Amino acid sequence: MFRRALAISCLLFAAGGTLAEVGEPVTVRDPHYGDVLFHFYKGDYFESLVRLTAAQEKSRVDNHAEEAELLKGGLALSYGLHEEAGEIFDALLASTTKPEIRDRTWFFMAKIRYQRGYLDEAGQALAAIGGELPKELEPERRLLHAQILIQQERFDEAIALLDGWKGPKGWSDYARYNLGVALVRGGRFADGAALLERVGRLSDDRDEMLGLKDKANVALGFTWLKNEQPERARPILQRVRLNGPFSTKALLGVGWADSDKGDYRSALTPWTELQARNVLDAAVQESLLAVPYALGKLNATRQAAAEYESAILTFSREQQRLEAAIADIDSGRMLERLLDAPEQSDASGWYWQLNALPDSTEGRYLYLLMASHQFQEGLKNYRDTLALRENLQNWKSSIVVFESILETRAEGYATRLPQIEQSLEAADIGEIRERHAAMQARLNDIESRRDVIALANRNERRAAEELALVKQNPVLQYSTPEIEDARNRIRLMEGVLRWSADRDFPARVWRQRKALQDIGRVIVAAERARFAVDDARINEPAALNEFDARIRNLEPRINEKLIALEQSLDRQRGYLHGLAKQELRQQYERLDTYTVQARFALAAVYDRATAASNANGASEDTQ
Amino acid sequence: MLRSFLMTLVLGVAALPVAADDSSVALDREVQDLKKEVLALNRELFLLEEELLYPANSQVALFVSMDIGDFFSLDSVQIKINGREVANYLYSEKEAEALIRGGVHRIHIENLKAGEHEVVAFFTGTGPQGRDYKRGAELRFEKGLGAKYMELKISDRQSKLQPEFIISEWE
Repeated sequence: MFRRALAISCLLFAAGGTLAEVGEPVTVRDPHYGDVLFHFYKGDYFESLVRLTAAQEKSRVDNHAEEAELLKGGLALSYGLHEEAGEIFDALLASTTKPEIRDRTWFFMAKIRYQRGYLDEAGQALAAIGGELPKELEPERRLLHAQILIQQERFDEAIALLDGWKGPKGWSDYARYNLGVALVRGGRFADGAALLERVGRLSDDRDEMLGLKDKANVALGFTWLKNEQPERARPILQRVRLNGPFSTKALLGVGWADSDKGDYRSALTPWTELQARNVLDAAVQESLLAVPYALGKLNATRQAAAEYESAILTFSREQQRLEAAIADIDSGRMLERLLDAPEQSDASGWYWQLNALPDSTEGRYLYLLMASHQFQEGLKNYRDTLALRENLQNWKSSIVVFESILETRAEGYATRLPQIEQSLEAADIGEIRERHAAMQARLNDIESRRDVIALANRNERRAAEELALVKQNPVLQYSTPEIEDARNRIRLMEGVLRWSADRDFPARVWRQRKALQDIGRVIVAAERARFAVDDARINEPAALNEFDARIRNLEPRINEKLIALEQSLDRQRGYLHGLAKQELRQQYERLDTYTVQARFALAAVYDRATAASNANGASEDTQ
Repeated sequence: MLRSFLMTLVLGVAALPVAADDSSVALDREVQDLKKEVLALNRELFLLEEELLYPANSQVALFVSMDIGDFFSLDSVQIKINGREVANYLYSEKEAEALIRGGVHRIHIENLKAGEHEVVAFFTGTGPQGRDYKRGAELRFEKGLGAKYMELKISDRQSKLQPEFIISEWE
């Protein structure tokens, strides 16, 4: 119910709901920009802002520089940082040359100015939009324009702007409703009534639109009642659903329409129905006086007196409950109960709304208060401040962990560095690299000379050595047929051996090269490790000191902010309690007024009864 | 008299901006200042945490991205690096929607030594014709000096009317 009651203002106040619509297909070129968008689309504006500002600081979103700045402004606006958002948009307007960025920036500027109540300036910002906005933003631009015109009482322009417009999600109907009410307030009944009539006859069965229809019909019905045209008011009020949140006001109005026509008997039907409803409702409270009023008009004096007495008793009981509720607020439990109430939206910033009221003593009385923008905003601020406190409390725990990690890292550095240095020094990487280069040169030489035996396998090499030994035998120098045969066999074996080694030579060269490459990689890794150790030796102490300094700087700032948050929460509690008590006191005073009216009416009834009785007595005496 | 009160009540429900009083303006400003300061602190803490836990030289970050989503509705992603399970993330409806709208989810960040590594990802969800769908993708990559960003991309392959799953190094 409260979500709907505030729907129209939220459309314009919550940048979040519409900023998210800016989501035209984006080609993400920097992953961290995509990460920011992910949290933004999830509705987690705080996290999104943190990641965006961190990414900007580290130059991780340079491919999206202006979009990122526009998004940051929008996020700041969604998170309730209006001043910061304004500064970002101002700077963006001064720097950007892209028309589409300028237009979107002007649009958000218009929203900020509207929210702050600078209507003329908001209108100027809208007028500065040169081209078309992304299609998702166009309806909101028109709605915002209409709201500005309505508040500037430029009704004819507002009517023209809304004429024939069908915005998304019933926005145009919300705008027409607001315009209709504004026209009625401004004294242009006919124009206002025509718009309210249109909204009141919507053929849209969605819950929120049914609620809007009821609201329009109640507003229109009461407008006719105010204009003393009860016969026009009645059928309109009868359109209101009997079980909806506006049914009590409608029932009361129907009764007044009947009573204005002098048909008090008919008026009693809706008013008696109202009497049975929740007495917290202002319309129900009023029916407690309306029923005896009608009975009085029907000369049912005794019943009228009884009803007035019953009303006085009911008002008195209600006031006692109100006193208890005020005491309950003083005890400080109200906000905790409100924030623990079920079905809360998990969005942060300006998009958050209270969906349901807690079932507590004072909760029953706070309906009117909850419908007020001021209280809802105060409550949102309170809730956001609680979230900030929780956030910093978590960081406070993390900082302790960071300190411990840093300590471990420093210890590890101190312990491991000498060991690693020792093992690296034991291996002379320079000498290994020289040997590797020599091997590489030798392989090149073998390959260029095609020295196949140099790469022969062990058996081949043994065979070659044995053949070389055999060839040195002096006997082979003799020339006999047997020895000639032996020489031929040696030549044959040498040929076979060389042929075999030659056949496998390319593969052997490849294998050798690969082995040398692998060794080369190991040498590179060792050199990298050496470099890392040298780097660590030079930089790690400085890095450790820098981390230590950052932690030492952040820790007291976290504590300081936690204290500031606690103090602010105290002030906000005081403010919200004050608002709540003010509302309850107003309700109390209204019941006082009703009680006085009931007592006067009761006295008048008794007077009339006494006068009638006296008149009857005098008449009997005369007879 | 009664009726005039109710008339105000009924015609007062138009949700137009309400002028705020001095105390609410002061409190609002105070909360804005606090938000701004805590945001700045958070930015510093966020960077401190990242730099301390995942130094740039050894940092590897994995991002999940998705386009269109006509052929695949994402439920979860499981990731293994060098055979070790490092992430198993279940996406809410809101998160899956955020991916389709252009958001990119940093699903995992860790430190890896320089050298060759293997990443394997399994995507679970609902595929074409509403059927349960599970597909894997893998990539061997070389980790050098400097942070390495990997993209786990889910896209619609119009020609085959099927989703496609690719792991690549973010250029």
